[in-house]
Amino acid sequence: MAQLRAELLKQRSTRTGLALFVTMLGLVLLAVFLHGFGLSAGDLEGTDVQLMVFGRGEFLAATFAALLGAMSFTAEIRHGTIRSTFLVTPRRGRVVAAKVAASMLIGTGFGLVAGAAAVGAGAAALRARGIDVQLDGGDYMLLVLGSAVAAALLAAVGVGVGALVRYQVPTLIGICAWLLFVEGLLVGDVGGLGDVGRFLPGAAAAAISGQGPGTLLAPETGVVLLAFYAAATALTGALATSRRDVG
Amino acid sequence: MTKRIEEQGAPVPADSDPVVRVSSLTKLYGQVVAVDDLSFSLEAGTITGFLGPNGAGKTTTLRLLLGLAEPTAGEALVFGRSYRELDQPARRVGAVLESSDVHPGRSGRDHLRALALAAEIPSGRVEEALVLVELEAVAERRVKTYSLGMRQRLGLAGALLGDPELLVLDEPANGLDPAGVRWLRRFLRWFTGQGRTVLISSHMLAEAAQTVDHVVIIDQGREVASGRLDELTERGRTLEDVFLELTGGAP
Repeated sequence: MAQLRAELLKQRSTRTGLALFVTMLGLVLLAVFLHGFGLSAGDLEGTDVQLMVFGRGEFLAATFAALLGAMSFTAEIRHGTIRSTFLVTPRRGRVVAAKVAASMLIGTGFGLVAGAAAVGAGAAALRARGIDVQLDGGDYMLLVLGSAVAAALLAAVGVGVGALVRYQVPTLIGICAWLLFVEGLLVGDVGGLGDVGRFLPGAAAAAISGQGPGTLLAPETGVVLLAFYAAATALTGALATSRRDVG
Repeated sequence: MTKRIEEQGAPVPADSDPVVRVSSLTKLYGQVVAVDDLSFSLEAGTITGFLGPNGAGKTTTLRLLLGLAEPTAGEALVFGRSYRELDQPARRVGAVLESSDVHPGRSGRDHLRALALAAEIPSGRVEEALVLVELEAVAERRVKTYSLGMRQRLGLAGALLGDPELLVLDEPANGLDPAGVRWLRRFLRWFTGQGRTVLISSHMLAEAAQTVDHVVIIDQGREVASGRLDELTERGRTLEDVFLELTGGAP
């Protein structure tokens, strides 16, 4: 608990978190408006496309939460504060656990705001073009709450990846490359293995907010799968951190 | 300054174990022997200079002592236990390894508050530590605006938060101006005057000779001399003479 309060103060006391939040929010609005005003009216009438557009909140919240979680660890390596952190709390597993908890809390906030902003901006864009919104209250709730859950879990994944890789630039590039590019390549039938892409972390996160019904997993399956990824990466990161020397 | 320091309370250690006991400590990095069968111990109330040329293994030894790295063989104990097994280590050991170990975008006060929260030290102690190192006026400024000397003192404030019995400092005089060096020397004398112990690594021999009362000299990971400074430098030899002779740097 003491470590959690310390981690939350560390997050509050630099501008990194705020910069990530503002960038995320700007990109959510940009992405939703570009799709909302850029796609043809015919495309936008479909429920799947509307879910995808409104789901940009989840996508960006999950990505930025992963970056925030990773930086909670890699920034300490980069600036050397990891030494004083471990001097004060030599039980390093507790430090990683506190970073996971703090990043999940902040990730939840990122997800709620981004999810709500995407839904609001998407609905406004469609209304401005006279296109009927096909989504109901349940879809909206899933988009916003699912975005929060997905971002919280990916924040934990980010902490684990950061603790494993340790170096800031490779970590952040790796996370971005994976979520923005690699997962996009692994859709459909991958190398005869079938549709494995939907089992990947980013796809599971999208599923949680109700996107891609029929192609992605059901939301509840997505939660279970992403929670597994989060636990596995965080635990691996904590174990590696406990065993490795600090430079 | 000295007066302010004297106003601070101080615990007196009551332990039968030596403050620091390093036994047959060895650390390999691949094929490189960083620390080689090193043994020494520190008595309470002393300032020990941990001296050696660059690359002698000083910083590695301190990291092993502080639980940041695991020894390949041997052990390094503080108060009879390995650092990672101490309860509330910040209340027993304070350490500054590198003055740059602060997030540049965080204020000095927030840096200390985060450490205090994690160590469960009351926040009032943060203000005391800031006063002690004379940083209270700049505590709200982000650390990127600090001079090297101010960062050194901020690091020292962090080490002092828990009012520890042992202070471990790696090259603490780096970046300090003459007034800062004198301040540090007085501070360390005051600190050890209360029965507390200091281990200071340095290769600034002239400064070390004025500050420490014991020395441990290492070269290539091995101890080459240890003992009281006045015994090592008897017969008119300076610490520099002794050091260069022992570490093979004599012309």
